[in-house]
Amino acid sequence: MIVLISDTWHLFNKYLRITLRMPMWALFTIIQPLIWLLIFGQLFKNMASLPGFPVGRYMDFFLPGAIIMTVLFGTSWSGVSLLREINFGTVEKMLVTPVSRIAIVMSRVIHSAFTVIIQCVIITIVALIFGVRASSLSGILLSFIVVFLLSVGFSSISNGLAMWLKREEPLVVIGNMMTLPLMFFSSAMVPKSFMPEWIRVITMVNPIDYAVEAIRAFYAGAISSESVFTGLAFLVLFALASTSWATEMFVNQSE
Amino acid sequence: MIKTENLTKTFSSGTKAVDNLNIHVEEGEIFGFLGPNGAGKSTTIKILTTLARPTSGIAWIGGYNVLTEPNKVRCSIGYVSQETGVDYFLSGRENLVLQGRLYRMDSKSIHKRVEELLELFDLKETADALVSTYSGGMRRKLDVATALIHNPKILFLDEPTIGLDPHSRSSLWNYIRMLNKDFKVTLFLTTHYLDEADKLSHRIGILHKGSMKIVDTPEALKDSIKGDSINLSLSGGAKEKAITVLKESPMVKDILCEDGHVRVYVNNGSETIPGLMKLLNQQGVEILSLTISRPSLDDVYLKYSGVSFKEGESTGEANPWWAQWQKGGGGEKWASSPSNGQGGAWGSWEDKKEDKGDEKQEDAWNKDKDKDKDKDKNEEQEEAWKKWGGSTSDWEKWGKGGGKS
Repeated sequence: MIVLISDTWHLFNKYLRITLRMPMWALFTIIQPLIWLLIFGQLFKNMASLPGFPVGRYMDFFLPGAIIMTVLFGTSWSGVSLLREINFGTVEKMLVTPVSRIAIVMSRVIHSAFTVIIQCVIITIVALIFGVRASSLSGILLSFIVVFLLSVGFSSISNGLAMWLKREEPLVVIGNMMTLPLMFFSSAMVPKSFMPEWIRVITMVNPIDYAVEAIRAFYAGAISSESVFTGLAFLVLFALASTSWATEMFVNQSE
Repeated sequence: MIKTENLTKTFSSGTKAVDNLNIHVEEGEIFGFLGPNGAGKSTTIKILTTLARPTSGIAWIGGYNVLTEPNKVRCSIGYVSQETGVDYFLSGRENLVLQGRLYRMDSKSIHKRVEELLELFDLKETADALVSTYSGGMRRKLDVATALIHNPKILFLDEPTIGLDPHSRSSLWNYIRMLNKDFKVTLFLTTHYLDEADKLSHRIGILHKGSMKIVDTPEALKDSIKGDSINLSLSGGAKEKAITVLKESPMVKDILCEDGHVRVYVNNGSETIPGLMKLLNQQGVEILSLTISRPSLDDVYLKYSGVSFKEGESTGEANPWWAQWQKGGGGEKWASSPSNGQGGAWGSWEDKKEDKGDEKQEDAWNKDKDKDKDKDKNEEQEEAWKKWGGSTSDWEKWGKGGGKS
């Protein structure tokens, strides 16, 4: 176990260094969700005045959505970069050492989650500057647990899919294909009361919906509410299931 | 140090990449592992370096079983793959330190060893620059250095000099020799450059279709092809005629053909040449130039591998002369004819041959030329593709399918 943690740490360290050497990349991945936040905030502004819409401005409502978009876009690259490392022989260089195979996947997943969290911190700060309301600082901080779990889940899926598809192109296509429907089948953009029944049913198995609801509850100060509890429970299961699938895929293929 | 017993690897597609392979490499040896693309070299190396599992058979590295004690094997070997696996966005030093961490060395010994290796490979000045700024030769050196971080006693090199310029190549050769001589590292090396194998290896094994055709010292291998080879350059169109003439000559033991060139094997080159020239002149064949040489490893390679480098690729542009010749039935006559005078010598030459027959050799020779043109580029892409991208069956060589079959 200690070996696994230290292996993961050293590899995580490497990925972090590489990311820090690409400031432009980091910049653009932050700018994109900010654009979502501002554009969607403006586009759907009037929706907030519809009867049945939760109180507040649309931007208040949409902030969790922008955070989730950051997660989805930020993590979908993880698998692509895994394929690149495989093609460059970098992964092979790891595999000839006794390093834990699980650590190779975990370091990637945690690195991906870490960069997403940094991006979300910046988006949150910008949103607060634009006047988005949060009931408490602890609520904001706790919402990053949700971001972490969701990122771990989706970057695992990206890595797992990479090992399954073995090609960059289909991976990117699937990543893009997943993103928007997952957003639409959740209350990220539209409150549940506005949804047709069948979409509402789908949201019940969509991890994104649980994440959105949990973040909203944290922002509203309902830290011990039911949506926080079920949301976190669902997300923990989701993260565990997808990391085990991804490591399973990788370990299987590398032996 | 390296020993395999009936090593076999069958892919789920049914292809036998490695077929009952037995290798024995002694401590302190440089073993050159030759074979055409697809002969199973890379698969064998992957099994020996614990990157792939054999379907059956056993392999021991430094006394450890690759299947049951993979981590002990990993700690006693270094592996330099065809792709420089070093990370472009880390510095040379960071790459070395990371590799040390992956071998779970402690910080103190890592830093000591990193300095040693930077010194040894003359990388000190650029140690803190990003690898993306390195030249190909430097990257290779760093790659070899990272493989040595944990002081392994055995080093596997898979086509180490591919894509390097002549200067970097010979510099890398010197490092390889030094590792062997001064640090007593046992080396297992695959290459497509026969001169490389010739110059570096103590012993050479030639692999063909997954099994070892022959293992011996480069000298003994070259001696096994008795006589000299005469390379004739002929004016256009004269080739067919020359071959018709030469194959009837008692002096000639064998003929290989390549574009405008004809390579003739004879017992004693300097004595044969005058007669040979006279014969050809009488028949009106004009010789543009002529060279005589001792058989090189190329000849040995062709004899034992008996296939072209590009086997399996499109044969659309199959070479004209022997194809026509075969159609005419001449091929049979040629191959089985004991009546071309020197029955004994010819016979013994035939006996030594693999059952591949002439046409394969000649095919090899003819295609040999295309090979050089874009060999580097092709091979690099091909190999990278083979392992990870491309079709599923290729992928399986590295991955799951193979392991599970």
